[in-house]
Amino acid sequence: MLLSVENLDVHYGPAQVLYGASLHLNEGELVCLVGRNGAGKTTLLRTIGGFMRPASGTITFRGDRIDGLLLENVALMGIRYVYQDKRVFGELTVRENIELAAYPTGESLDEAISKVLAIHPKMESLLDSKAKGLSGGERQILLIGRALIGNPQLLLVDEPTEGLAAIIIGDIIKILLKMKNKITMVVVEQNLATVARLADRLYVMKEGCVSREIVDEQTIKNPSCYEDEL
Amino acid sequence: MTSFIQSVLFGLTIGGILYIISIGLSLTFGAMGIVNFAHGLIYAVGAYAVYTVATILGAGFVVGVLAALAVSVPLSYVIERFVIRRLYGQSIDYAIIATYAILLIGADSLKWIYGASPLPIIDPIGKLWTFGSLQMPAYRVVIIGLSVLIFFGLSLFFKKTLVGKIVVAGLQDREAVRSLGIRVEKHFAIVFIIGSALAALGGVLYAPLSTLNPYMGFEILVLCFAVVIVGGMGNLRGTAIAAYSLGLVHSLSAAYIASSASDAMVYTVMAAVLIFRPIEA
Amino acid sequence: MFGKVENNPTLTLVFTAAIFLIFGYATSLPKITDFMIFCIFVIGFDLLYGHMGQLSFGHMLYLGAGAYGCGMFAYHVYPDPFLSLLAGVLLGALVAAVLGPLVVKTSAAAFALLNLALNEVGAYLVLSPWHKWTGGEDGLSLFFKKYGFINFQQSTFRFYFCLGSLLLVVYLVLRLVRSPYGNLLKAIKENEVRVKFLGYNTYVYKYITFIISGAIAAFAGALTSINLSYTNTSLISPARNVEVIFAALMGGAGSVIGAVVGGTAFMTISNYLAVYLIRWEMFLGFALLVFVFWIRKGIWGYVRKV
Repeated sequence: MLLSVENLDVHYGPAQVLYGASLHLNEGELVCLVGRNGAGKTTLLRTIGGFMRPASGTITFRGDRIDGLLLENVALMGIRYVYQDKRVFGELTVRENIELAAYPTGESLDEAISKVLAIHPKMESLLDSKAKGLSGGERQILLIGRALIGNPQLLLVDEPTEGLAAIIIGDIIKILLKMKNKITMVVVEQNLATVARLADRLYVMKEGCVSREIVDEQTIKNPSCYEDEL
Repeated sequence: MTSFIQSVLFGLTIGGILYIISIGLSLTFGAMGIVNFAHGLIYAVGAYAVYTVATILGAGFVVGVLAALAVSVPLSYVIERFVIRRLYGQSIDYAIIATYAILLIGADSLKWIYGASPLPIIDPIGKLWTFGSLQMPAYRVVIIGLSVLIFFGLSLFFKKTLVGKIVVAGLQDREAVRSLGIRVEKHFAIVFIIGSALAALGGVLYAPLSTLNPYMGFEILVLCFAVVIVGGMGNLRGTAIAAYSLGLVHSLSAAYIASSASDAMVYTVMAAVLIFRPIEA
Repeated sequence: MFGKVENNPTLTLVFTAAIFLIFGYATSLPKITDFMIFCIFVIGFDLLYGHMGQLSFGHMLYLGAGAYGCGMFAYHVYPDPFLSLLAGVLLGALVAAVLGPLVVKTSAAAFALLNLALNEVGAYLVLSPWHKWTGGEDGLSLFFKKYGFINFQQSTFRFYFCLGSLLLVVYLVLRLVRSPYGNLLKAIKENEVRVKFLGYNTYVYKYITFIISGAIAAFAGALTSINLSYTNTSLISPARNVEVIFAALMGGAGSVIGAVVGGTAFMTISNYLAVYLIRWEMFLGFALLVFVFWIRKGIWGYVRKV
């Protein structure tokens, strides 16, 4: 088992957001987290990523406890978070965005750039443009590409298709499918049709708890089966 | 007309010095959200260092400048490491009070060592430049030139070096930089030290224009806050524009209203800016 | 034991009165009068800092407004002590009311610095352009009318009047802080966004608190003018802001008794220590650091757990 999350309680200020959330992840899987807005999916993802500290519960990655570690250290272990709101470093160019991502991993800039271009060759023409000029889809792709630099062990992807046009969504799904089996991923996704195409397994979240795990391939491919449990 | 141009040139001189001192304050403010009162101490230490080396020891102004810069580095490192870094996760108020305390301790130390009376430093160049009917001490022109050079130097630093780029990204989105595995704090610390060295330089440059006194750190700080606030925290170009503008406000108020009004006019501008363009700090 | 004192307003008042009476007669009535007036100032400041969580680096402006309001009224209009006091308080409240809407919009660092800037502007105005009314650098020498035993020239009377004023302020602020209004302030300090979501207009509450805080500070200022029989620029000096900040922090921010303890402690240090220790400013700096790093809750915060 690559990742094990047990009984996480997370508070956001005085309010509790996660109640005893648990899940596990095996190497090479693509697991989706589904649920309504406010169910706690992003909070769970971010807590795994090291952005928040749980009040109780444990997160174990390759046998080591990682809950409560500093964000930088979690990232250095190879756990990469892909932001929900397409936040890139707007004032820097695409090349410089990649440069920053490559720096802590020790990977050369050229290798890093080639990794990003591998998932989206069209990015080459944008290398020297300021990142804030990129479209939403291009930014999302840049964020995913950035997460692949170095030696990523686990990707935490937060609503990658949100707010994007259908064609771009298709591109991104293709990218994620290409990455499948090469790298372990947890993807938060609202669009159940997308989930049907991507997921090996999925967890349903409701009101701060992980309420159900769905392993059966048929159920995953037919969201209407579990839709009303959300 | 000549006296107007003189005032403008003096305003640019003051503006240049204000820029050099304030840029460090602005970056710290933008990067850490901390109002660093101790910045004024390093400014004062710079001035007293050059006084000690140049006037007391007689080693010359240039050596004095180097001494001032050399002293500022360990001093600012200690302040950053043991005070600021400990406090900036927590309420900003404590960092404000703590850095104010450091300034207080430092000012009293300077008073202890050098006494409370104002100390003069002579103009290290001592020549006047004449340009038609205009006469201006060469030293002031050098200051303006130096401040412009520093502005371009810093711009290059932030655009071309990796540290600079990390800081620019970090100012915009600290969490995202950290999530890449980069220790943003260490990089902000580097910038903090550079900014402090510049404050010491500012103290050095300002010294021959006026006299030294142990409380000079307090006096310059409020003006620097005005520059930082008007220019925008962490905004390189904005700080430069604000510094020269406020320098002009200062010297023109002194010339055309009253010399006691010059500080107050700067504060009024600062208050107006804070009121009409509230910052999230 | 100390916790009980705090929870019972009557006990607090009795305790406070007793302490100052003992102190006063043990040392010197005029000195302790100064102490008590400063404590009023600290209470006013702490309402803003401790209870609402907003640090101002320019609260001397309101002390000054009170001092000059009182002084100028007595000097230029009519030297009745009570009317002058009222004039001082009103001027302080007025300045706070006028500047408040703009100041209260900001927070944290901006709030601290904006108040400092306004204090500097105020100090300048008093020193220079308005010196005809304020007396400029020399200030104003004041005489107040006497009414039988109401004689502010007498140190004993001043002592009791200021003691009464302090007890009044303590009582009023304690009532305020324990009321629903006070609870709201505490909530705003902890998490303003949440309070806004609950439907409260936090801006209005902050504004009202700002005015009250300014008025109390002005009251202290007016009392100072009467106590000293003069008003001058030191009463509006921005450099003295550190005194009240230190006192609030040292005593324990967010508690009325803490403010009184802090005010007394600070005055003790500055009056007695300064005589024996030349480097007392350095001592003040180190003490501030100690409080910021290790004794956050101040002396009272520490002691009340006894």
